Amino acid sequence: MNSLPDDFWGWVVYLLRQYGSSFLRGAGTTMLIAVISTAVGCLIGFGVGIVQTTPTDKAHPVKYFLMKLVRFLLDAYVEIFRGTPMMVQAMFIYYGLAQLFNIHLGTMEAALFIVSINTGAYMAETVRGGILSIDPGQTEGAKAIGMTHVQTMNAVILPQALRNIMPQIGNNLIINIKDTCVLSVIGTVELFFATKSVAGAMYTYFEAFTITMVIYFVLTFSCSRLLRLWESKMDGPDSYELYDLATTDTLAHTTGLYSYPKKPRENTQNNDIRDGGR
Amino acid sequence: MSETILTISHLRKDFGSNQVLKDVDFQVEKGDVTCIIGASGSGKSTLLRCINLLETPTSGEILFHGQSILTGKVDQCAYRAKVGMVFQSFNLFNNMTVLENCMVGQTMVLKKGKEEARQAAMLYLERVGMAPYINAKPRQISGGQKQRVAIARALAMDPEILLFDEPTSALDPEMVGEVLSVMTDLAKTGLTMLVVTHEMAFARAVSSKVVFMNDGVILEQGDPESIFTNPKEQRTKEFLSRYING
Repeated sequence: MNSLPDDFWGWVVYLLRQYGSSFLRGAGTTMLIAVISTAVGCLIGFGVGIVQTTPTDKAHPVKYFLMKLVRFLLDAYVEIFRGTPMMVQAMFIYYGLAQLFNIHLGTMEAALFIVSINTGAYMAETVRGGILSIDPGQTEGAKAIGMTHVQTMNAVILPQALRNIMPQIGNNLIINIKDTCVLSVIGTVELFFATKSVAGAMYTYFEAFTITMVIYFVLTFSCSRLLRLWESKMDGPDSYELYDLATTDTLAHTTGLYSYPKKPRENTQNNDIRDGGR
Repeated sequence: MSETILTISHLRKDFGSNQVLKDVDFQVEKGDVTCIIGASGSGKSTLLRCINLLETPTSGEILFHGQSILTGKVDQCAYRAKVGMVFQSFNLFNNMTVLENCMVGQTMVLKKGKEEARQAAMLYLERVGMAPYINAKPRQISGGQKQRVAIARALAMDPEILLFDEPTSALDPEMVGEVLSVMTDLAKTGLTMLVVTHEMAFARAVSSKVVFMNDGVILEQGDPESIFTNPKEQRTKEFLSRYING
């Protein structure tokens, strides 16, 4: 490789050979930030969403007041982080922490922190919606067998809510893969930052960003397909095995006609009115 | 022999300015199969939901074995575990199989072991004829089958009284029979049942006591034969004539 290439594809190949590892490292960092932040963001979102949907009881004034206060603070968090650009938040938090509290985060830690709380703010609303979308009958069914609110949430509501918001979690992951590029403003060396460095070295902006376009698309597309797979796995099999094939549903009346025994209450000795003495 | 399980006195429930229950008094004895009948909107379901504390009564008193359940001291969850409920819309847990639906209350609320819970669940599922379907999810079975599973789920908690809130109203006519026959069998076992229903033939044949509700009050109660053949109140006559002639 002594002479420089003179056409587009030549440059693409040249960049891949020369800077392939930079692209790969950038892509790796991007994925790392996106995956961890989405996971942490989901945890934050579930925490906030669960608090926001917990029924408040006016019978305990102190608890009621505390709950209201916590909810107000969480609402403020959600509104502020949804309502400002992540790029601005990144600058604000990264430089703010350094200047006000003398906390000097590494660019990677800062990136994880910022994307996580940002995702958390979006997920909080998604989880709240997911919980509210579950039929109230599910809660009543659980209450009727004596389950507490926590038991009901854990065993009945959250598993169903999680399934319902899976597409939204996938959406957030894909948004995060793309949006980590704004973290280049605080110097996080993710895919966009890496590409800019490569492009700047030889003024090969078009060629370098062509490669990066392809990488971003491959990342997001494979993630969306993987999540689809996971979703269908969560749904379980479409069919079910009969437990005992010899038995069928003997109670189902095909005609729907059922005549009542004249005086069943006086007939308690004789249990075989319907089922032939089984 | 007769032991009072539930005593309801001067029960009142308002939704805003709408008085749904005005002044309801009645008792449930152990082993009673009580059917509550009456027109839609007369407060039958609300009464049942108040008994299970799914609605908080506005005023009045509900005594369970002589003890008030409306004071803050009573553990509502423990009380609900003893009072089973079967809903019009089944309310089976959609994320669980038929078997898990019947086990979750036993393991979580009654703190039974997995195997013990499984055996009890199987016993009741067999009784309602749903044992072959234990691996199915609620979305995979029919309405009548769902309701039978819901009955098994309630029975698995070994309740002292079982409340039925229009258990066949959401079913198409072909499936009403299978649920009613399960309920008829249950009545014979001596289980205390409180049934809100529009199935007059069932009320007449199976219940030991019939309560007629109208406009938020109990207008008339008594044994099924006297209510159905010789109602005292004009409103009861009108209501029943629609079922008998129609």
